[in-house]
Amino acid sequence: MNRLVSLVSRARVRWLATPAALLLASTAASAQEVVDRWGPTPPASTYGPRFDSLFSLITTLIGISFLIVLVMLLVPCLRDNAKKGKKAHFDHGTSLHDKRFTAVVSVVVFIVLDAWVLVRAMGDLREAYWNVPAPDTPGIFKVEVLAQQWAWNFRTPGVDGELGTPDDVITINELTVPIGRPVVFNLTSKDVIHSLFLPDMRLKRDANPGAINVAWFEAAKSGDFDILCAELCGYAHYQMHGKLHVLPEADFPAWEKDASALALAAYDANDTEARWAWDWKE
Amino acid sequence: MTARPLLLVTAALALVAPGFATPGDETAAGHDAGNAAEHSEPELPPHSRAPHQVDVTVHDDAWLLVNDYDTFGELAEADPERFEFVEGLLEPKDESGEVIDTYDGYRDKTGRVELRYDPEAEDVAYFERVSAERLTRGHENYIQYCASCHGLEGDGYGRSAQHLRPPPRDFRVGKFKFTKVGVENLPSDQALVDLVKKGLDGTPMYPWALTEGQLLDVIQYIKSLSPPESGWRDVYAVVKGPVDIGEDPWTNDVQGAVARGEIVYHNVGCFNCHPGYVTPARIDEIVTGEGGIAKGSYREDLTLPKIVPNTMYQVQGYKTSILPPDFTWHSIRAGRDRQGNLSALEIARTVGSGIAGSGMPQWKGSMPDKDIWAIGYYVRHLIETYHGKPQARAALMSELRGGN
Amino acid sequence: MSGDHIHPEPTSFLRKHVFSVDHKVIAKQFMWFGLFWLLIGGIMAMLIRWQLAYPGTPMPVFGKLFFSSTGGVIDPASYNTLFTMHGTIMIFLGLTPLMIGCFGNWCIPLMIGARDMIFPLLNMLSFWTVMLGGAVAFYSLFVPLGGSEAGWTGYPTLSTTVANQGTGETLWAVAVFLIGASSIMGGINYMTTVIRLRAPGMRWTDLPLTIWGLFFTAVLNVLFLPVIGSAMILLVLDRVFGTQFYVPASIMAGGGGGDPILYQHLFWIFGHPEVYILILPAWGIVSDLLSFFARKPAFAYRVTVGAMMAVTVLSAVVYGHHMFTTGLSAMLGESFMLLTMIISVPGEILFFNWLHTIWRGSLRMDTPMLFALSVIFVFGLGGLTGLYLATISTDIYLHDTYFVVGHFHLTMAASALFATFGAIYFWFPKMFGRKLNETLGKIHFWGSLVPLTIVFCTMFVSGYAGMPRRYYDHTSADYLKPLQHLNVTTSLAAFTLGIAQLVFAFNFIKSRWWGEKASENPWEVGTLEWTLPTPVPHYNFKEIPNVVCGPHEFSNPAIPDGKDWIYQTEPLAEQPA
Repeated sequence: MNRLVSLVSRARVRWLATPAALLLASTAASAQEVVDRWGPTPPASTYGPRFDSLFSLITTLIGISFLIVLVMLLVPCLRDNAKKGKKAHFDHGTSLHDKRFTAVVSVVVFIVLDAWVLVRAMGDLREAYWNVPAPDTPGIFKVEVLAQQWAWNFRTPGVDGELGTPDDVITINELTVPIGRPVVFNLTSKDVIHSLFLPDMRLKRDANPGAINVAWFEAAKSGDFDILCAELCGYAHYQMHGKLHVLPEADFPAWEKDASALALAAYDANDTEARWAWDWKE
Repeated sequence: MTARPLLLVTAALALVAPGFATPGDETAAGHDAGNAAEHSEPELPPHSRAPHQVDVTVHDDAWLLVNDYDTFGELAEADPERFEFVEGLLEPKDESGEVIDTYDGYRDKTGRVELRYDPEAEDVAYFERVSAERLTRGHENYIQYCASCHGLEGDGYGRSAQHLRPPPRDFRVGKFKFTKVGVENLPSDQALVDLVKKGLDGTPMYPWALTEGQLLDVIQYIKSLSPPESGWRDVYAVVKGPVDIGEDPWTNDVQGAVARGEIVYHNVGCFNCHPGYVTPARIDEIVTGEGGIAKGSYREDLTLPKIVPNTMYQVQGYKTSILPPDFTWHSIRAGRDRQGNLSALEIARTVGSGIAGSGMPQWKGSMPDKDIWAIGYYVRHLIETYHGKPQARAALMSELRGGN
Repeated sequence: MSGDHIHPEPTSFLRKHVFSVDHKVIAKQFMWFGLFWLLIGGIMAMLIRWQLAYPGTPMPVFGKLFFSSTGGVIDPASYNTLFTMHGTIMIFLGLTPLMIGCFGNWCIPLMIGARDMIFPLLNMLSFWTVMLGGAVAFYSLFVPLGGSEAGWTGYPTLSTTVANQGTGETLWAVAVFLIGASSIMGGINYMTTVIRLRAPGMRWTDLPLTIWGLFFTAVLNVLFLPVIGSAMILLVLDRVFGTQFYVPASIMAGGGGGDPILYQHLFWIFGHPEVYILILPAWGIVSDLLSFFARKPAFAYRVTVGAMMAVTVLSAVVYGHHMFTTGLSAMLGESFMLLTMIISVPGEILFFNWLHTIWRGSLRMDTPMLFALSVIFVFGLGGLTGLYLATISTDIYLHDTYFVVGHFHLTMAASALFATFGAIYFWFPKMFGRKLNETLGKIHFWGSLVPLTIVFCTMFVSGYAGMPRRYYDHTSADYLKPLQHLNVTTSLAAFTLGIAQLVFAFNFIKSRWWGEKASENPWEVGTLEWTLPTPVPHYNFKEIPNVVCGPHEFSNPAIPDGKDWIYQTEPLAEQPA
């Protein structure tokens, strides 16, 4: 047999076995967890499935590409071994045939790997991720996000639908939104750069100090989801997480009414220093 | 050709050497200089003072109060290796050298704890000598983990605290809301460790991942921020652990505790600030049942809490009021144990000790411990049943509002 | 110009071994320096992996050693310093000195037939500047408030005094500046040497591909290190002198309105080429090694060089893909997406040229070859997964997750590291006159490749599942709790990987002094350094050689004497048809 295979088959097996055994041990210890979660949770926003589908497409494309590379790598390794007395085939690769091959493969790679994915991505961006609903779109739910070390401050409009009024619902690390209405964020930060990450919604956007960023999503599922910070923001970066509550249409008006009533009850006209709100950025 | 970058580098190195005066130095008061009154009218908006590098070195040891005389006595007796009881341990003299008084006390063989006399107050208390190295370690961790909210000077005006309600604590006042040691007392080290380990729900005060040793260092530093005449330097101050509300009398009867809690809650008038969770008619019934006189008329909407001014924040320079929590809606701050589970004990302790500066009085002494426990169980029941459950809560509210 | 005539060899110890201007001595200095920092950075990686797998548990041995004040527990502040310095050290103090400092210095004069670098003094200064940078970086770990903890990217305002009041961060910026200055000196030297000091007869197309890789890297170094230098100067000004280049008005009294995004642009204008600064020499070395050990000419030499040149040019115009979630305008975002994707074309050309080089060759599976082959594998994995990150609509989710960590470790860390290992195994006999032990080398190879693949592929899985990077403890958030088993797997594989490097360390030390004596051309390769005796004399070439033949004329039927290789100084019997 050739050298490479014999390498694997003899004493070196020990060295391969060590990591493999460790891997097996750790996997067995957490078998249940492995079953629970391999990838992300199912998408909970209207545009979430777009991510999953494009991810699968790219996986297929690069999977095939990698397979080709792997075959072309392994075949010579196993076949063309000097130990077997193989003589090398002298070839500078400068023939017209070789040049054509390179050109054709380049074009194919550009079309299949790049152009295809690019067109899909542009479609997703223009139809979904970057297609932020205009502020006067009926039914949109505006949220102002003020990030800080190490918490998310959320301001939602309350029953009057206007931001910057005493009935605004202000919460820390908790955000309640209705299902089926576009939720539009205006994000900024008090101190350092943070990044609002809603993994279930497939949304991520930085909150930069001194500037306002815009993002949006529309929930397609009700329930409680996680809010994470995705940009290093200091020692408690990992603790800066909150909960996103998506309420069904039936529950939301009652919730909003109570929230506004409590916000009004908590409103202190003297405490001007507590105010934060800004002109909505489209 | 290479001289220029090297020159720059040399210059930069010289400038970053510790101790180099940074532009922020004017606003960076020393850690124990100034008190709350002095900083209440700062020149700049306090949240936006220029950022600057900080020298964390603390140069002097600090003498800080340890547990009160009796508690300390118990601790000292338990450790005869270290402490011995000495009659006439301290004999303070006046200026002419004449002995004024004689105090018995425990002598620490390691020399770290001392009975000290304060001529102004004409009183003694046990003080512990906290080394400058330890304070420096504490200061370092304080700057890293605490300063973004509590401020580089410990005044509660950290940059990230802007607009934050409730505002972060001013450590120079030496008062705490949720240490559960009673409104008048200073918390013991362990009470403070406990607070930091559990965090305060619904605020950016998280359960910090510091080891107990690191936390104790930070706490010594925070204690050293208290001004010379008050807090941990005041001989009259009393340091206590969490308020003692006895053994849980309801271990086998949680249902009974919740039922009793509902009665106590509405009988003693918690609904004057917090919401009421029964109809006014039912309140009358409860009050009469407990032998009181029913008022018959109450606040306009008992389902809403009533905002109350907070004296403590006024000391800090904030004009803020605090809405007492509606347990079916808001997160309560200190209701969890170290494992993060909602705990009747912790809630009952908050009720027993009161919350300094807010309208929440110290209930310990005003009602039997058993009733304090019952309120703990009742509030836990409210949270577990309605908090974060919009449908259940809506049903309750519609019942209370008479179907409206 | 020192390359023209023979200087006498210095006799004092200091001039010979410490402040030497001899490129071979400097190369060895860079090698020891790089290996030392690789060890430090590697230990840091082990600490990071321990914390991630077993958060808040005291680490055995190392914990007691480095974190005695907390009883061996890594606290969040130390953790942040660890991953910041791991990145900084591995990139700037580990791989750069090894790959560019050591092999740049070693290979360029020897492979082009020169007596030394064109600016020997500048060469020495380059080493001592990086030495100073390393010292400053090391010192920064021990100042009050700890070392830098804003990540190796050092984004403001986290890296300004808004959030970080210690001197450690300032020292970090100074260290990066110093290292950058050193790289610029090296880059100028390499470029000029390659242009001016090639031996007579050596056309550009006779250069080994290693030299091409190093040459392009030198170009990138000279063009883009000044950008990071300026970014660091502005950061130091902000931190020490109270300027506000990166601090917006909204968080500073009387603020003039700086912009933290400015830093991101400056950083990535440098930062993206930096990836190629590390990978281009690796590509060059791998292209050569594959040809040398497959006993076949490098397939389509000119196309390979062209592809490397295209990548060099493209690397300057794709940096925006690091900032897709920052808030770039839609037009900029889409342009950067397209430009980034175009890199896959030269990338693919390189791959097919490598694969064609070994196809129908006569492969000698020595350790350098194994490492060169593994670069195809790991760079294939890393490069192809870049497609997810170049595509904005998938990057939105994957940005700043472990997916990115897996991707860039495979491309710039693992590929560059494996190419470096290949280079060490390959040139060791010429450097030290002895061969590295082959058996240990193969143990090292398999012990590196297998765990490394597990480590970074598991990171792809956890990143895809939504695990953000730079978290101290992933069990704190509900969404991430079920993924902890992935962290444990990654860490166990990482520890295995770490242990395998001890085999290399042992092999290196043992073979350096007690290894098997090597012949003067143990690999039977025809490039110019193998025409020299071992140890290579101070002046390299007694007579400047006359190059008459390309570097990869393996198995050419025109080679006389029935050999399958020929020195670049020897003529072929007749030109091949």
